[in-house]
Order: sequence, then structure tokens, then C-alpha cells
Amino acid sequence: MSSISRQYIYLMIVSMVLFIFVLLFSFLVLIPEGKEYRTKRVELKKITREFRNYSNFHDETEETLQDLRSKNRRIISAFDTIFNPDRFEKENKSYFSELKVSSLSEPTAENDFSVYEVNTTSQISSPKSFYDFLDAINKSAYMIAINFPIDFKRDGEIIKSSFTMKVYCNNKDTNATASESKKK
Amino acid sequence: MKYSYINPKKKSVFTQEIQLLLSFFSITIIMLLLTYSFLLYKNYSFKQDKETLTAQKIELEKSFSLMEDKISYIEKQKILSETIYTKNIVLKDSIANLFDLVPLRITLSEAQLLKNGLILYGITPNKDIYNFMLQAPLRSIFHRTYSSFYPAKDGWFRFVSTNYIDNQEEIEEDE
Repeated sequence: MSSISRQYIYLMIVSMVLFIFVLLFSFLVLIPEGKEYRTKRVELKKITREFRNYSNFHDETEETLQDLRSKNRRIISAFDTIFNPDRFEKENKSYFSELKVSSLSEPTAENDFSVYEVNTTSQISSPKSFYDFLDAINKSAYMIAINFPIDFKRDGEIIKSSFTMKVYCNNKDTNATASESKKK
Repeated sequence: MKYSYINPKKKSVFTQEIQLLLSFFSITIIMLLLTYSFLLYKNYSFKQDKETLTAQKIELEKSFSLMEDKISYIEKQKILSETIYTKNIVLKDSIANLFDLVPLRITLSEAQLLKNGLILYGITPNKDIYNFMLQAPLRSIFHRTYSSFYPAKDGWFRFVSTNYIDNQEEIEEDE
């Protein structure tokens, strides 16, 4: 009888110790960790959703940029092209009997662009040549605005003309921004 | 002196009941530890994922901001180019209109197109032809028109016509 009783007490003590350990472990360690797990899971879901939305928005913006680039390729390239007086003379001499382009002035900043002024003297046989030149300017590889004053002077059968051109280029710091191609 | 014919068995602390109890609690504790390990691993994994996503989002934000700048710059280029092209076309039309405006009987020797004006040098058979056929249309275009004549050798008149368009601001100030 005394042996059973001792066994029983021993069993009870072991059971109690283990039970208390399980309870303490559960309430002090496992449940807080579980709560943290649940919070983190919800938080991660929220962050993932936000990231996905932002990523979609980013992709849409990228598409818009590519679309803008492809639609305005000629304009972007015109702003990128550095003005070359010799090349300009060669390209446009067909409109004039004689064409002389002065070298570029020091650039001035206008908004986000560099503007060079170029003085031009030329000889034309009729005003029509000048109209054709103005049409061609809008299709040229440069971004050029014909500027005042424009002077036409009759000299026998020819018209001597002189005018100023404003050549627009990208600023050096913004140049890269506009023309950089997508590298992926 | 022996009281029994069998050898006595050693009594162990780990009785069957204790063994059963220990195995039951062992399984429970193993399960609890496994759950705890799973939670630890998942929390660590969530933390890593969160950090990765945050880093990726920062990269996206940078890239987005860069793209916004590019878009805004291309739009600026587009607006400026449209302005330049329009100005060139308007200029071409203005010059064409100017030459169309000059009657056949008047010969221009020089034309200076200024930002806000026009100076014409030429020769006219008489003042009336100039006044009616050239000055009248010029007056309708420009706000201020001044003309001066110099007699030429063959009885014709050389003229200088100076025409200005006042800025809208100046007109408003005068009013």
C-alpha cells in the first residue's frame, strides 16, 4: 500500500512538472510568437498588395514613357543633335544661291534648354526659296527657330537675306535624362 | 538464508506508468517545439520578405521619379518644338503675306522684319499709289505707321515705311 502511494505521488509530481512546463511554454513563448506570426502575415500581405499596385503603376508609367519616346523620337533626336554649321550649310544650300552660317554663339539657358544664336547671310533668287527653306527647317535634324530681325535686300536679280536662327539643344545635365535609352 | 526461489527484480523508477506519461509529454513537447520552430522560421521569413519588398519598393520609387522627370522633360521638348514649328510656319506666312501685299507698281528694295515691326524701303511712281495701295493695308495691320518720301531722279519717289505693332501691355497702359 505504501509502495503504491509513493508511486502515485511520484507520478503526480512528474505529471504536474510536465504540465506546468507545457502551460508555461505555451502561454509565455508559443502564443506570443503565434500572435507575432499572425500580425506579420497580415502586414506582409498588405505590403505585398501595395507593392503589386505600385509595381503596376510603375509599369504603366514606363509604358507611357516608351510611348512618348516612340511618338516624339524625331523631336528628342533634334534636341540631342549638336548644331554643326558646315553640315547645316551642306543640307540647305539647295534653297540658296549662297549660304553662310556664322559659328555658334555662347549658349544661353532658356528654361531647361541651351540656346545658341547663329547669324546667317544668304542669297536667294526668289522668296519661294525662302519659304521652302522655312518648310525644310521644321523637318531638319536640328531644333531651329528663325528669329528676328530678318532683312531682305534687293541686289539686281537676287535678294540678299540675313537672319538669325535660334538653335535649341538639351542642357548637358538634362540631356541624359531625355535621351537615355532603356537598358534592361 | 533464502526466502524465495526466484531472484529479486530490481525496481526501476521508470515504471510503465511513468514511461507512458513521459512518452505522452515527450510527444507533446516535441509538437510544441516543432510549432515554435515553424513560427520562428516563418517570422524570420516574413521579416526577410518585408525587407526585400521595402528595398524593391524604394528602387521602384527611384525609377518612377526618374521616369516622371523624363516624361516631363519630353513633354517640355514637345511643347517647345510645337511652338518653334508654329512660329516658323507663321513667319513663312507673314513673309508671304508681306510680299503679296506689295502692289506690282511699287518695287521694294529692302524689307526689314523686326520683332514688333516692319521697315520697307522701295520706290513708287507717286505718293497716291503708295498711300492707297500699300500704306492703307499696312495701317490696318500695324498700330503705328510712318512714311517718308525722297524724290528719285526719274520723277518717282523713294520711300521708307516704318511700321510698328505696340505690345498689348503698352496699349492697356495708354488706355
